[in-house]
Amino acid sequence: MIKFDRLKPVLLAAGLAMLGLGATSAAYAQATPKRGGTAVVGVSVAGATLNTQLTSNVTPLIIADLWASGLYKYDKTGAKKPQIASSWDISADGKTYTFHLRPNLKWSDGHAFSSEDVAFTLNAFAKYNTYLVKIVPNVDRTETPDANTFVVHLKEPQSSALEGFDKEVFPLMPKHIYDGTDIPTNPANRAPVGLGPYKFVKWEEGRGITFERNPNYWDQPKPYLDSVVAVFIPNVQQQQNALYRGEIDVLRPALPQIGRTIEQGKLKNAFETREVKVNAAERLSLDVNTTRDIFNKPLVRQALLVAIDRERISKDVYQGLAFPAMNAIPEQFTQLTDPSVDYNKQFAYDPVKAGKMLDEAGYPLKDGKRFTMDFTSATNADAFYAEPAAQIISANWRAIGIDVKLSLLEGQLWSDKVFKNHNYDVSMSSLTARTDPVFGVDRSFLCNPSTVPFVNPTGYCNKELDEIAAKAGSVPTAERKGWYKKYEEIVARDMPHLTLTNAKKFFSISTRFGGIDEELDLAFNGNPDMAQVWVK
Amino acid sequence: MVRHIAGQLAQAVLLLIAVVIIIYCLLQLIPGDPIQAMVGDVPVPAALRAALEKRFQLDQPFLTRLIGYLGNILHGDLGYSMTYRRPVLDILAERFPRTLLLAGIGYGFGITIGIAIGIHSAVTKHRGVDQAWSSLVLIGYAMPTFWVGQLLVMAFSIQLGWLPTQGMGPMISRAQGLDWILERATYLVLPVLTYTILETTRVARFMRASVSETLEQGYIVTARQKGLSRREIIMGHVVRNSILPVITVMGYSFGTAMGGAVLLETVFSYPGVGSLMVESVRQRDTQVIVGVVILVACSVVVMNVVVDLLYAWLDPRIRIASARR
Repeated sequence: MIKFDRLKPVLLAAGLAMLGLGATSAAYAQATPKRGGTAVVGVSVAGATLNTQLTSNVTPLIIADLWASGLYKYDKTGAKKPQIASSWDISADGKTYTFHLRPNLKWSDGHAFSSEDVAFTLNAFAKYNTYLVKIVPNVDRTETPDANTFVVHLKEPQSSALEGFDKEVFPLMPKHIYDGTDIPTNPANRAPVGLGPYKFVKWEEGRGITFERNPNYWDQPKPYLDSVVAVFIPNVQQQQNALYRGEIDVLRPALPQIGRTIEQGKLKNAFETREVKVNAAERLSLDVNTTRDIFNKPLVRQALLVAIDRERISKDVYQGLAFPAMNAIPEQFTQLTDPSVDYNKQFAYDPVKAGKMLDEAGYPLKDGKRFTMDFTSATNADAFYAEPAAQIISANWRAIGIDVKLSLLEGQLWSDKVFKNHNYDVSMSSLTARTDPVFGVDRSFLCNPSTVPFVNPTGYCNKELDEIAAKAGSVPTAERKGWYKKYEEIVARDMPHLTLTNAKKFFSISTRFGGIDEELDLAFNGNPDMAQVWVK
Repeated sequence: MVRHIAGQLAQAVLLLIAVVIIIYCLLQLIPGDPIQAMVGDVPVPAALRAALEKRFQLDQPFLTRLIGYLGNILHGDLGYSMTYRRPVLDILAERFPRTLLLAGIGYGFGITIGIAIGIHSAVTKHRGVDQAWSSLVLIGYAMPTFWVGQLLVMAFSIQLGWLPTQGMGPMISRAQGLDWILERATYLVLPVLTYTILETTRVARFMRASVSETLEQGYIVTARQKGLSRREIIMGHVVRNSILPVITVMGYSFGTAMGGAVLLETVFSYPGVGSLMVESVRQRDTQVIVGVVILVACSVVVMNVVVDLLYAWLDPRIRIASARR
């Protein structure tokens, strides 16, 4: 007879196994997506157009995830994931990109989709698209050998060109809607027809935009939700309130609100706030007007960086949700940035050293003062960082004897002062690096004779750096890092644009949804992919 | 009376034209770029700028645009919005009733409650009650609108969960008939309450001062000596005479009240004329901004006419004087 004591471990193991099986089944049942329900996404106001070929405003970018698709997107590891293109090949010489498109697709209005639409998007929209204008001069021609193949021939190899075809930069546009029309003012820019998971229904001005499931979506059975509503809430505090009360399900909270948002989420158990691990960097930066006396000396510009307590900005302004930037190429571009250039070592916070550097540059203290500086920044409603960061930086500089005259201006006034009139010494802004240095980093460093806003206003122009940037954007991917190292070194030496901090990103989503773990749409805005979200 | 009102209207038209020209010129002087606002904080491609400037005639000389705009206004056309891509008149027709609803209810409650508090505060025999009312009114008057709004949201929406935090109603709703009205009403409660607090404090202060002054008039002493009851004196003589200056002030402060609505709409994400104005300034959408200014100016003119009529109705001396002229 077998004693019960001997059986105990066996029974226990069997019991645990059964429990485990039960738990797995429960988890499986819970993880099975089902159709139905509505999600409400909180956004700021949308502006003039939803077409992200024509705008880079945040709200249209978030909303574009609903109605538009691209050739590919990024997954949560930052790798490219096919969307409308099921695969793509790059020729050995790096000059020909062939995209193999999914067959038998339809636009949200039921019209058939083909490679003609892709070619049309590139040929007709490129001149209006901030990022594509960087690729187009290098495009020799496009071809559509059949309905499911799209070929781009480049004049010269350009490895970064592929980044220009992700869904964020290159949302696909319907030829039958736009062909022969005035594209920038086509009504479809406010009532879009796309290949995305949801179909545009109506735009109620000042209130929001309603989308419903696109029955023609290419990735069936997605999307799972019946509808998604984007509600306009311009006030940041009201966005938080609406989230706390459950009036909205999805929100990208402002960084200073993250701590409270996480706390409220735990308290109410109604929503959770997650960090988006992989994203395009958002970096607090300073442009120095190198055309002006004093600031035309690289040693002065380096001293300005050494004098700034970037740890304190990360801790106090961003509440610990940012970190001091390493160099000109953001840390998020793990394959491209070279850590051998590290501002945290080379230009670590040291006011005494900064003072000595200014002495050496020919600006010693006289009556407690070295020189006067016109320091400016924009203070838009969403620029929460502007005032506190500017105050910390001003205090740091005043501590080494710089007489800082700080002016915090409304966005458009600041833009005119800095980019149009070049009437400033140092200007602060927070810039996104987008998906590749070619799109978001080069603009701060390359020669720019124009007065176009948000392009290098410093007057710094170094042909050597321009050539290196061109190389870094065109050589095969494996070789890019080497060129970006040279890029970083030149910037660290000349320092026309001081990169201070690199901020993290978060999003909040209601706990009533499933599917948010599977994948995030991380190309730029860091919101959950609403095609995969379903009501638990 | 009719001649007086007609004269006022004629003056108002001239004033309106001057206001339009001044605002249009000021907007031209303010730095800013509507095209940049459309595209965001990134460089605007030259082709996109050229296309949009051509479409919205921003490539035309300023004077040409101003003359064209004034000509359009005379034909009843308030222009076209660069942001909303619709005629300005259509946008205003959609947004103004919402603001009117919010401001109208708040204004109505504010005046009624404010008058009641003002009278009670002035006629009460208890000094403590008068001081309590005065203190409360002063505290209410000193509190910024946006702060009161946020406080109410935190109390009634976040803590108690009774009322929505913002907006004018759910985007997708199955409610119909009375349910729909009630659903919408819940969204109005907090903005109206905030507005009412603002207006009540403003009116109560004027009313108290006016009643106190009236109480010292000779005809009140006469009424007392004639043996009229306290109630008869207050209702028949004090209120009627005290309310005149308050009505004048309320009429002229209607513009300020509209300004209050702008702030309120921003706090509560309420899609009326106020939030339209704020957004249009941000987008540098000139024709919408001027359209809103014209609308507010017109409503102030209308309000002044209403005040004149009310004045004549309440005070026979004005009626008779107007008839003699």
